[in-house]
Amino acid sequence: MGRRRYSFGVVRLLLVVIVAAWSASLDAASCAAQKTAFDLAGNPVDPLKTAAGKVVVMVFVRTDCPVSNRYAPVIQRLSAAHAGKVMFWLVYPSKTESAEVIRKHERAYGYKLPALRDPQHVLVKESQVQITPEVAVFDAGQHLIYHGRIDDLYEDIGRARSAATTHELEDAIAAALGGKSLAADATHGVGCYISDLE
Amino acid sequence: MTRAPQTLSGFFLVLAVASAGFAARHAAATWQPAPASAAAQPQVTFNRDIAPMVFRNCAPCHHPGEAGPFPLLTYSDVKSHGRQIAFVTSKHIMPPWLPDRGELKFADELRLSEEEISTMQTWVDQGEIEGNPSDLPPQPAFTAGWQLGKPDVIIRAEKPYLLPASGSDSYWNFVFRTPVHRSRWLKAIEIRPGDKRLVHHANVLVDREESGRRLEKEPGAGFGGMELIIESEAFDPDSHFLFWKPGSPPYVEPDGMALRLDKNTDLVLNTHFQSSGKPELIQPTLGLYFTDKPATMHPMLLQLDNDRKLDIPPGEKNFLVSDDFTLPVDASVLAIYPHAHYLGKDLLALATLPDGTKKTLIHIGSWDLNWQAVYRYQEPVDLPAGTTISMRFTYDNSADNIRNPNQPPKRVLAGNRASDEMAHLWLQVLPRESADATLDPRLQIQEALSLHHIQNDPEDFEAHYNLAALLQLKGEMSGAVLQFSEAVRIRPEDSTANNALGAVLLASGRLDGAIVHLNTALKGRPDYFDAHYNLGNALAAQGDFPGALLHFRAAVRLNPQDAMAEANLGSALAETGNLKEARLHFERALQIDPKNELARENLEQLNRDSHDHPN
Repeated sequence: MGRRRYSFGVVRLLLVVIVAAWSASLDAASCAAQKTAFDLAGNPVDPLKTAAGKVVVMVFVRTDCPVSNRYAPVIQRLSAAHAGKVMFWLVYPSKTESAEVIRKHERAYGYKLPALRDPQHVLVKESQVQITPEVAVFDAGQHLIYHGRIDDLYEDIGRARSAATTHELEDAIAAALGGKSLAADATHGVGCYISDLE
Repeated sequence: MTRAPQTLSGFFLVLAVASAGFAARHAAATWQPAPASAAAQPQVTFNRDIAPMVFRNCAPCHHPGEAGPFPLLTYSDVKSHGRQIAFVTSKHIMPPWLPDRGELKFADELRLSEEEISTMQTWVDQGEIEGNPSDLPPQPAFTAGWQLGKPDVIIRAEKPYLLPASGSDSYWNFVFRTPVHRSRWLKAIEIRPGDKRLVHHANVLVDREESGRRLEKEPGAGFGGMELIIESEAFDPDSHFLFWKPGSPPYVEPDGMALRLDKNTDLVLNTHFQSSGKPELIQPTLGLYFTDKPATMHPMLLQLDNDRKLDIPPGEKNFLVSDDFTLPVDASVLAIYPHAHYLGKDLLALATLPDGTKKTLIHIGSWDLNWQAVYRYQEPVDLPAGTTISMRFTYDNSADNIRNPNQPPKRVLAGNRASDEMAHLWLQVLPRESADATLDPRLQIQEALSLHHIQNDPEDFEAHYNLAALLQLKGEMSGAVLQFSEAVRIRPEDSTANNALGAVLLASGRLDGAIVHLNTALKGRPDYFDAHYNLGNALAAQGDFPGALLHFRAAVRLNPQDAMAEANLGSALAETGNLKEARLHFERALQIDPKNELARENLEQLNRDSHDHPN
C-alpha cells in the first residue's frame, strides 16, 4: 500500500530468475522466452525501455469493468495534456481478452493510447497494482513513484462523488516531471480486482 | 375545462418488481448453506453452492442485454469476478436492495442471507473450486426482447438523447405521443429504456394535457430535468406507479386495475442516467399491452411531504424532516415509494393505527438515490380510518456525505434540481368503497390531503389548486374561486391557474374578473386551447361576439378535433351574421361528435333563421 522506491534493476533481475523456472513450460511459439507484456500485434514490449528517459504512466483497465470504463475521458484528457513529456500506456491484465476485443474497446471509449496485454501480470507486479482502474507512475529514472487510484471520485463501488476532490494521478505526474517525491501514501482504487483474472 | 396540476407523484406506478417468477422457478434449488465456522469448512463448489445463488440473484441483471456490466452465467464468468462478488455481497452493495428487513414483506425482495454471503466468501478463500458437473443446475433461461410477448403497440422516442461520456448524473424526459384513437385500458407498459447499463431508473408519467410537449424545444426532442410537474384532469388521479429499474420485469396490473389511456394522451418517460465513459445515444421504446377489462378498482397515490421544512444548514449531519397524515377512510396500502436526493440518509415511514399499534411501512437505513425503487407489498397493508401515516426522513449535508453535490457543503432547500433536496413519500392506496355511494373515498382522501398540505405550507400552489378543483367538482363555486385565487396569488403569472380561476369566475357569472384572468393565461401561453375557449365564452356572454370569434377561431386552430370549440365557433359566426360559415362549423362539430347537442340545436336554429331571412 505504501509508496515505495524500488531500485528497478533488482526487480527485473528477480523476474528473470522466476521466469527461468517457467520458461520450459512456455509454448515454443510464444513470442518470448521470458515473461513479458505484449502489444496488440503480439510483440513483447517493455514499456519502460520503450520510453526511456520519459515519465511513464501505466493505466490498468479491463474491458468489462464499469468503473475503469468511466475513467476513459479522464485518462484521455490527462494523456493529451502531457503529450510529449509523459508516455501513457493502457494495460489490460486479462488472460483471455484478445487484441481484437481490446482494439474494439479502445475505439468505443475514444482511447488514443498504446495498449498492452499483460496476461502474465508482469506489469501488474512491477507496478504493485491490485485493482482496475489503478495507475502506476514511473519517473524518468524508471523508479515507481506512485501506484494506486486516479482520484477520489469513488469511495466504494456504487458510491461516487459528483466530482473528484483529490487528483492523485495528476499530482504524481507533476511530481515525476518536477523530480519531486510524493508525501502521502497511495490509496487503492475502487473497481475490479485484478486477482480475479488469475 | 379546468385542469389540475399534480406533481410527478400523481402518476407513476410500479413496475419495480425484481424477479419473483424467476425465484419461484428455482425455489427447489439444491443449494445448501455452508456452516459459517471456519475450522472445518466443507468444500464449497461453484456447481453445487454458488451457481444456484448467482443464477437466482445476480443473473437476472447480469446477462447479455441487461443492466449488469458483465454476464454471470458460467463458472468462468463468476470466477473472473469472484473476489469482487464476495466483496460487494459482504458490503450489501449487491444485489441492490435498500429496505431493511421488517415485519411487512415486499413482493420482490432481492437480498442474500448472511449464510449465502459467507458461502460466497468461503468459495473464494478455498480457491474457487468448480466442483462436480452433475451438480450444476441448468442455466436460467431469459426471454430475449419483450418480456411480456409482442406488445399491442410499440412506440419509440422520436429523437435520441446523447449522453455525454463523462460528467455527473443526467436526467432526461422523453415525450411519447400515443397512437390510440379511442380510450383504451392498459394492463401493462413495458419500458425499454435503451442501453440498460446506463439507466438507473425510469418512470412513466401519464400526461393528459400535453404538459411535457410544452417543455420541448422542438417536437419530439424531449427535455431535461430531474422532477416534473404534469397537469391532469381534476380528480381522476392516475393511480399507478409505472417504474423501471434494472432487473425488474414489467408489472402487469391485476384485472380491474387497468390504466385508462385516452386519445391524445402522452406518456412522459423520466430517466436517470450515469455516464459510461463513452458518448451514448439513448432512444427508449415503450410497449403497450391493452386489456378489454376496464378499471373497477380505483387506487390512488398519496403524497406526504414537507418541503417547506427542507432548509438544511451546511455541515448538518442529521437533519430531520417529518410529516404526518391521518387517513379519513379505510384503505389498503399496495405499494410505497420514498424519495429523496443525494443528501437523504435514513428514510422511515410508519403507520400508527387508531389503537396505537405501530407498523413500519418501510425503513431504508442507508438511502441511495441510485437504487431508488417502488416497493410493492406482498400482501396489501390494511389501515383503518384514523391511522396516521408518518414520514421521518433524515439528511446529511456534511462534507462526510460523499454524494453531497456541494463541496464544500452549502445551505440546501427543497427543489427539483439534483442539487436541491426532496422529502416525498408516495403510497399507492386502495380506499375501501363507502357504504354511502355518493361519497367517493378518493375525493375524501384528496380533500384531506390538500388541506393537510396547505396546513404544512400555506404557499403550496398545487394544494390550493387541487383543493379548488375538488371544490369545483363538488359544486362549491365560492370555495373554488377562493382557492384558485390563492393559487394565482402564489403564482400570478401561471397560465394554468389563471385559466382555472377564469373558468370558475365565468361559471359564477363574474365575467369581468374571468376575462382578466383568461387574458393573463393567454399572455403566458398564447397557444393555450382551454384559455381561448373559455375567453371566447366569456366574451360571448358579454355580447362581444367579434372578440369571441377571434378566440374560438384560435381554439379550433389549436385543436381541430374538439366538437365544442367548433360548435361555439359556429355560434360566434352566426351571431356576427356569417351564417354560411357558421353552418360549416356546426356541421363539422357534428361530424366530430354526432351527439353534440349544442351544434345540433344551433343548426336547427340556423335553419329556421335561414328560412325566415333567406340570404
